[in-house]
Amino acid sequence: MGRLAFVGYAVLVVIASLALAGCLHGGDDGQVNLLDEVKERGTLQCGVNDAVPGFGFVTAGGEFQGFDIDFCRAVAAGVLGDANAVEFQPLTAEQRFTALQAREIDVLIRNTTWTSSRDGSEGATFLATTFYDGQGMMVRADSNYQEVGDMGGTTICVLSGTTTELNLESVFRAQGIQYTPLSFEDNDTLQPAFTQGRCDGWTSDKSQLAGVRSNWPQGQGGPDALRILDETMSKEPLGPVVRDGDSNWAAAVDWIVLATIQAEEFGVTQANVEQMKLSDNPEIQRFLGQPVEGEAFDPGLGLDVDFAANVIAAVGNYGEIYDRNVGPDTGLGLERGMNALWTDGGLHYAPPYR
Amino acid sequence: MTTLEAVSRRPPPWRNVRVLRIAFQVAFVFAVALFALYLFANLVRNLDRLGIETSFDYLSQPAGFAIPDSDFRSTEDLFAALLIGAKNTAAVSLLGIFLATILGVVVGVARLSSNWLVRRTAALYVESLRNVPVLLIILFWYLAVLLRLPPIGRAVEWEVLVVSNRGLVGPGLRQTEDLLVLAVVAAAGVVAAAAVWMWRTRRFDATGEPHHRVLWGGGVLVAFLLAGYLAGGTPLAVSLPERGELATTGGFRLSPEYAALLIGLILYTASHIAEIVRGSILAVPRGQTEAADAVGFSSFDRLRFIVLPQAFRVAIPPVGNQYLNLVKNSSLGVAIAFPEVTRITRITISQGGPAPQAIVVLMGVYLVFSLSIALVMNLVNRRLALKER
Repeated sequence: MGRLAFVGYAVLVVIASLALAGCLHGGDDGQVNLLDEVKERGTLQCGVNDAVPGFGFVTAGGEFQGFDIDFCRAVAAGVLGDANAVEFQPLTAEQRFTALQAREIDVLIRNTTWTSSRDGSEGATFLATTFYDGQGMMVRADSNYQEVGDMGGTTICVLSGTTTELNLESVFRAQGIQYTPLSFEDNDTLQPAFTQGRCDGWTSDKSQLAGVRSNWPQGQGGPDALRILDETMSKEPLGPVVRDGDSNWAAAVDWIVLATIQAEEFGVTQANVEQMKLSDNPEIQRFLGQPVEGEAFDPGLGLDVDFAANVIAAVGNYGEIYDRNVGPDTGLGLERGMNALWTDGGLHYAPPYR
Repeated sequence: MTTLEAVSRRPPPWRNVRVLRIAFQVAFVFAVALFALYLFANLVRNLDRLGIETSFDYLSQPAGFAIPDSDFRSTEDLFAALLIGAKNTAAVSLLGIFLATILGVVVGVARLSSNWLVRRTAALYVESLRNVPVLLIILFWYLAVLLRLPPIGRAVEWEVLVVSNRGLVGPGLRQTEDLLVLAVVAAAGVVAAAAVWMWRTRRFDATGEPHHRVLWGGGVLVAFLLAGYLAGGTPLAVSLPERGELATTGGFRLSPEYAALLIGLILYTASHIAEIVRGSILAVPRGQTEAADAVGFSSFDRLRFIVLPQAFRVAIPPVGNQYLNLVKNSSLGVAIAFPEVTRITRITISQGGPAPQAIVVLMGVYLVFSLSIALVMNLVNRRLALKER
């Protein structure tokens, strides 16, 4: 008994001192450099959507696919040199920031709108916008609504925990339109509610609506059964998000996204990236990490000097990612519009790589 | 001699059971407290590092979102939104508890019926529903039943009912005048009815003449309500639903979300209550039934006056647990867009509200509901419990 008691004491003392040590000691994890951590781990944890066709969804074969997914792969290719070294973590709109704060994911690429309050109070840093979107309204094709102003007295379905939920209220209130919002947790319950006529309109980012519409079951009339109103109710710049307080990691992810845009401007594609390395344009050579006057240019981002070449070889340039997932030849059929390069009158503009 | 001395001597403290007992408890509490402190410090430090607010100030910020079927305006603060959520939780919980109790008692009694069909039907109901997750029952009613009702354009109009997947609408009351007079008279009526009730009870105790206190008390209350209604200038009118193009107007409306949640909770909880009622009835000694038969009670009176009162005494504590479960299960309304308090909290979090504080507030709300129900059930239990004299 006496010996047992001593063992018991010893265990308690150890637990207590560990706990105390934890209290006094735990402040170090703030200094961990995520870039090094990811390289050491060898995989990227990417928070994504799994229910928006074209942007982030799971194919019948169980593969993640989409515009946002390709940017996850781009980051993995840029940091780790392997576009497949990604673990995708599907998150709901409500979970995403908590997952980011809790370090469950390294980067959130899940059609997330950049807003001041999210930047300010979610502990999140928003990086280069990958997709300039706007909120739209989808209605049944046989209804008479031509604009949001016609929708007085209607019931509108919306996803809970999105900027769309707040925009819906401010747009309708500003125009003095009475309506009933129904906010659903995920598209899996929202879609049957809309299908059965529980609500008259479905509001979300236009790109998402286009994705849903393109995948509308043929049994319910296919894409032609739905109509997306021309009106754009808000600005929705979507892009990758990382945690506050790690500027190295933020810069690395930022420049990987910018590299896809720069590559399109240079005309570097997935197919021609190897030839382009031999280009006689020193800017392109520098961009692709080729030695210019004897030495390869290293911007000091903590990435390989040829990270841009790796990214383009893995997923292609911005235009290729766009066309493959959401462009005019896909089911979504989205024109480039605002998402064209600045040289074509769009908004995508990469700062100089030098 | 020396051995005896050794036994009577006080053992050293590390072998003294009494000292050890206390020391262990102190050490354990200390360790738990340290661990809790560690978790809390860890949370606060990490929130600080991320620059996330650690106060409850967020509650006074404007909500920015709208809540269906309420007169909540998005410019009101998050605290007001939370109250609407708590009100919706209460609305579904209280009605759910009331109806689940009735259904549960009926099914529980039916399980003991001597009629084969009734007994088997009740058994089928209980066994199929209490073995299915309540979330599935709720989703089934929402997705497979209520959403499948005709859309508003082809709503079924049946006398005074309008049924569509925008809601189940029946006749309701509409306020036309100020309700103050009616409210005052109604309150007086409740007091008067209670007095009459007690008078009848005393009279019954004294003389043994039938008390009919429900009839008397109810009559007094109805008389008062009628008088108040007339004196107040007929402040309420019957409102019949009218079908519009997009929604119904007037009448009393159950939204599909509310109805699905309510039905799911009632069906599930009633299956549990039925089992408790059945067990409690079986716990009443058989001699009681036989004695009732012997003095010539009809089978209904036997149930009403002899069996059920004694069964309820056994059933109250476990049924109270089912009530608590029902309140907590109402949080499953998040799955079907019913704006109860969990939904509002989750919207708050995802719109930038701090998750730890919001969850603490949410837990507080459920705690208030649960403790209130526990309090009421304890009072009922104390009143019904066998008085030992």
